[in-house]
Amino acid sequence: MTDNTEELDLRDRLNLIETMIAEGRRKTESWGWTFVLWGVAYYIAIAWAALGNPALAWPVTMVAASILTGVLASRNRSKGPETTIGRSMMAIWIGVGISLFLLMMFLSITGRMEIHIGVAIVCAMLGMANVTSSIILRWKVQFACAVGWWACLIAALFVSEAQAGILFLIALFFCQIVFGIYGMIRESRRNRAIVARQGASHA
Amino acid sequence: MPELPELTLPELNPVIHGKLRLALLSLLSSVEEAEFTWLRSKTGSTDGNLGAQLLKLEEAGYVAVEKKFVQRKPQTLYRMTESGREALTEYVQALKQLLGTAISV
Repeated sequence: MTDNTEELDLRDRLNLIETMIAEGRRKTESWGWTFVLWGVAYYIAIAWAALGNPALAWPVTMVAASILTGVLASRNRSKGPETTIGRSMMAIWIGVGISLFLLMMFLSITGRMEIHIGVAIVCAMLGMANVTSSIILRWKVQFACAVGWWACLIAALFVSEAQAGILFLIALFFCQIVFGIYGMIRESRRNRAIVARQGASHA
Repeated sequence: MPELPELTLPELNPVIHGKLRLALLSLLSSVEEAEFTWLRSKTGSTDGNLGAQLLKLEEAGYVAVEKKFVQRKPQTLYRMTESGREALTEYVQALKQLLGTAISV
């Protein structure tokens, strides 16, 4: 009886360690909303540019999306501490974000945007960022997104300008917006599961 | 009858063995640093108890404390030290070894 009680107590402690480590890491993947936000921002910029004002569309949309990301991210950060994985993710996406921002803005300002090359560069950068973060997070779905971007990169170089643009919009929809929504749903499910587990352990 | 080799069971570190201290070290092992208020919300502990247990961990050299002001508000940050990480790793190994023994007996 005593042995059983002791064993239960030890198991209880092992569970406690696992729960607390999971709790500390809980915020690591709460970035689904940024994928949705930037996916929508790209759609807005593309639509606005197509309507006839590319020199203004890209800078205004990118700056607005950057400010919105900064404000929402800082609000998110104040809710919990920083983790090493979280900082790695931030480093990758800030690096890619700034590079894409500068690329798209100056290509449109200088009027040197060539659709095939533009799409290929953006796809390559997004593929690189997605694959890096999928390896760090061990997330197969994100790896699939990277493959999607790479497929778009290759395909865009073999088709017409209009087709390359359409391919980019399709990749943007699935690998950015749908993936972001999936990430948000996953995060919300996980949070509910943790709350339920905590409720059960307190009971 | 031949003498059986004596089974030596590992001892659990008493500083870490307390449930709240164990929870605190586990939480701190997964983050860079954490605020007192965050630790309180995650453990559901009272200010007094939490402060006392964190002080024990600090005295053992397992956590480091930094006090600063952010927008004129005091903020106490806790960070796990290298010896704290080593101690937690050893504790988990000892725990697993003990449980392994309990299962095999």
